[in-house]
Amino acid sequence: MTSTVDTARSAGTPPPAARPGVRRRARRSLSDLATPYLMLGPAVLVMLALLCWPAVQVLFISFRKLDLGELVRGEVKWVGFDNYKNVLTDPDFWVISLRTAVFTVVLVASTLLIGLGIAVLMRHLAGWVRVVLQVCLVLAWATPIVATTTIFQWMFDQNYGILNKTLVKLGFDSYQGYSWFSTGTSTLTVIGILIVWQAVPFIAFTLYAGLIGTPKDLYEAAAIDGANGWSAFRAVSWPSVRPLLMLTTFLSVLWDFRAFTQVWAIRQGGPDGKSTTLPVLLYLKGIAGSHFGVSAAVAVLMLVILVAVTWRYVRLLVRSPETEL
Amino acid sequence: MLRKSRAQRVVLTVFGLLVAAVFVFPVYWMFTTALKTPAQILSPDYDLIPLSATLKNFTNAITKPDFGTFLTNSLVVTLGAVACALLAGMLAAVPLARLRFRGRKGFILLVLVAQMAPLEALFVPMYLIMRDADLLNSLLGLGLVYVAFTLPFTVWTLRGFVKGIPVELEEAGMVDGCGRWGVFRRITFPLLGPGLVATSVFSFITAWNEFLYALVFMREKDKQTLPVWLSSFKTAFGTDWGGIMAASVIYAIPALIFFLLVQRKLVSGATAGAVKG
Repeated sequence: MTSTVDTARSAGTPPPAARPGVRRRARRSLSDLATPYLMLGPAVLVMLALLCWPAVQVLFISFRKLDLGELVRGEVKWVGFDNYKNVLTDPDFWVISLRTAVFTVVLVASTLLIGLGIAVLMRHLAGWVRVVLQVCLVLAWATPIVATTTIFQWMFDQNYGILNKTLVKLGFDSYQGYSWFSTGTSTLTVIGILIVWQAVPFIAFTLYAGLIGTPKDLYEAAAIDGANGWSAFRAVSWPSVRPLLMLTTFLSVLWDFRAFTQVWAIRQGGPDGKSTTLPVLLYLKGIAGSHFGVSAAVAVLMLVILVAVTWRYVRLLVRSPETEL
Repeated sequence: MLRKSRAQRVVLTVFGLLVAAVFVFPVYWMFTTALKTPAQILSPDYDLIPLSATLKNFTNAITKPDFGTFLTNSLVVTLGAVACALLAGMLAAVPLARLRFRGRKGFILLVLVAQMAPLEALFVPMYLIMRDADLLNSLLGLGLVYVAFTLPFTVWTLRGFVKGIPVELEEAGMVDGCGRWGVFRRITFPLLGPGLVATSVFSFITAWNEFLYALVFMREKDKQTLPVWLSSFKTAFGTDWGGIMAASVIYAIPALIFFLLVQRKLVSGATAGAVKG
């Protein structure tokens, strides 16, 4: 379809050679010229004022000493790369970065695998089961994060949570009063389950939309050619799902790498900082610790990491305007 | 669609229902906990199905002072932000998907990178901007912040949906004499339905959930939103799980209603067969 779009458009553009009708064309194309900018206007304005400008300021702040005192006095104190030195020479920063990276990779991989599995499953389910599954997924997705973190704290509660009560009932008496938040790994696992559980519905619906967007005739043709389940998936579904899968991977990386609310709400990065991730570090340094310069440096480093990781994909998206999504 | 044996269908159905149960369980557990008395919650046993229920947790939560104000504030900010993000996003998505112009790639790059900014980091500059614009303690200010947070995703996703609409349909509309606006109103906009639903769901969730900015920007009590209200439960009641769960249910209900309203559109591939007759 993409190629059709392209030829249709290039056929419509006026040829550069001078022709009698050229004046009228030129005038029309002047208003055509302004149209895209007028339509982009509101979005550009809001994004420039409330995303880009603050982001540029964060960059500046990362080269300043900005604690509560400086903030109140409105004092500007440049310190060059001190904040970055401060952050990068702190061994904790590297531990936290590695932890965040592992956390992100595990979460993105599990979210996408489960999401794709459910999307394929939905396709094969009978109508009413599919609706039941979809409603359940929507309920999980729609419940606000502040509420779901509370639910998970409740289910994993040391004394009265359903998990420990069930384990004790099943005869594992050692889980009486067992704390799931006593180590960093176990805390991050609980947080990971929470995030994946809420992220899967969006991925599943997106991929499912891609799957049902594939014309049925293609499957019939594949079936006639003797393709069974797996090879039909490879040959027919995969091409339509692949771009969506790349897009959802990209979005999941962004979302999971920056996940703050859940990590913070569950244990504030504890026990003993063992479940602290980069966004939590940023919060601890900044809003909690009032070292806004250091916090800004962490933010800039995070953005650098994200851009570095996603650069190839972003370039692909920008370079080839004909990509479907 | 593909022919399956009876056994296969039974296995699929059971598996599908199992997955559904796993996903819905935490939400279900929130609802049932909210109906329990403190004694039931503290006992080592639990009922998966609440046999005796109390509504006391709910009446306690709703009769907390200012509940109505919090709810109204949240609804106004969220719905306002959703509407503005959709409008601005749609306006931007159409030329991005359909027209060629100078600065197009630059704008796409802007959108993609803007999506990566850690929002907790923008806090201080954002605070200063809002203070200078006299928009602290204002629902309008908070709403604008949420529009900014959701716009990159909205623009990007809607652009994809516009691209998904076959150009042939729009061209046919032009041939039939609809004009640019007519084509948009009669062809592009209706086919954009699923895209609008998908993005509105995203911005609704973002705005309805947001806690940090709401907490710090809205210092006056009559301007605060529901996430702040919910967090006030945690400190006030400690581990009153029934009370917190009831408050969570109340907080979740508007989001659940919104999602269930748009749910059918959410998964429909409206353009799938639009070209083929």
